[in-house]
Amino acid sequence: MLIEYERSGGFAGMRMTTSVDSDALPLEQAEEMRSALEKADFFQLPSRITAETGGADRFQYRVTVHAQDIQHTVEVGEAAVPENLWSLLNLLNTLARTRR
Amino acid sequence: MSTHHHPLNCILPPHILRQIADQGTPQQRNKALQTIDATARLRGQRQAFSEVIAVAPGAVATGKERLVYDAEHGSNLPGRLVRSEGQPATGDPAADEAYDGSGATYDLYWDAYQRNSIDGNGLHLASSVHYQTGYDNAFWNGQQMVYGDGDEDLPPDQRLFNRFTIAVDIIGHELTHGVTQYEARLIYWDQPGALNESFSDVFGSLVKQRQLGQTAQQADWLIGQGLLTANVNGIALRSMKAPGTAYDDPVLGKDPQPAHMRDYKNVIYDNGGVHINSGIPNHAFYVTAVEIGGFAWEKAGRIWYITLIDKLQARSNFQDAARLTFEAAADLYGANSLEQQAVSKGWSEVGIDVGGESKGCLATLFGANQPTRSAAP
Repeated sequence: MLIEYERSGGFAGMRMTTSVDSDALPLEQAEEMRSALEKADFFQLPSRITAETGGADRFQYRVTVHAQDIQHTVEVGEAAVPENLWSLLNLLNTLARTRR
Repeated sequence: MSTHHHPLNCILPPHILRQIADQGTPQQRNKALQTIDATARLRGQRQAFSEVIAVAPGAVATGKERLVYDAEHGSNLPGRLVRSEGQPATGDPAADEAYDGSGATYDLYWDAYQRNSIDGNGLHLASSVHYQTGYDNAFWNGQQMVYGDGDEDLPPDQRLFNRFTIAVDIIGHELTHGVTQYEARLIYWDQPGALNESFSDVFGSLVKQRQLGQTAQQADWLIGQGLLTANVNGIALRSMKAPGTAYDDPVLGKDPQPAHMRDYKNVIYDNGGVHINSGIPNHAFYVTAVEIGGFAWEKAGRIWYITLIDKLQARSNFQDAARLTFEAAADLYGANSLEQQAVSKGWSEVGIDVGGESKGCLATLFGANQPTRSAAP
């Protein structure tokens, strides 16, 4: 399973990306990732989730998951992230920050 | 060529209209009052109108009311109140910087433009610090300012960002998003979004320049100086003087900001590049300010301020901003004044023509029989 992650926006306006091959992850991390995807019900999420709350300098996230016979992309603004998607975004964000 | 406006679309600064309403002939007074009413409706507010009727000049309380909260590394806002207006320093640099920086920003808006806080009506200035963990960002959530601590969770040799309260222009930037929300309401997408970002950088930088007592010539025009750690090859996040030169780092990449329309970046991320293309109007302001000379918040800042509160609308683009700052310069300093020429030069250096001439709204509304007025400061 391949997961692509992009975070853009924010005050700094810097784009941060990473891609993760779950087969290449340590077993424990791969399990965390699988569990976070399940918790988010990722493949059922709308492809674009936006918030009407206003504000500025929030992050924008874009996650694409390529699984065996399915591929899905979700774009979501920080203020609109569904509660059950945060585990996945936090995992990916930590990976991206420590890898860069 | 002369630029003609429908009178209702030509918005004069309220203080000039108030002066005409107070001191003009009966016809001038009627016209000024009608315009104030139309302006208020256009802005969705009755404030300008009621001020003429009810409030004597100088009667508004200053109303600097700061509240600083500690989010204690969580996501719940605002968090625990740690310092309110008039209380002594807490000893926590983030909390005290948020307090001092929002105070310096309030003072710029009040002392230079007689604006009473974010909404013009004394709204409290709420800030939360220590938001989440490893949160390398600051934002305005529609009601308050929020600051992360940067990369405090990483080993020192991997940290790229310091705490986001470290530069006063970041605080001025976030607070100005609040002002924009109450005034031009620029949508946060593409060119209106990049203008929204640019106005935040402009007034953020002016807060810093005023605090340091620097002229346009002396100022560094950097946004976020001190935010990047020594591990990064960069001096700041953005440069209004030389967009695209603030950092160039193997890990963070290169500052992507353009300084000219020919380098405008059409992208879908970052809400259509709002933090990227803001380099273009940022540089236009820088050129204007240096061209006028002196303290940038006094004249260039006033032109941009009046444009933000009385002229721009939600979907205004760069071309509109150029035309309207040019018009505001005529309103404030006269058609073909040095200040107005400086605005024209500012935009032309980034590849935007201000579009013909503008004699300003006084000429549009009152024709040859313009009421007399005292010059803006």
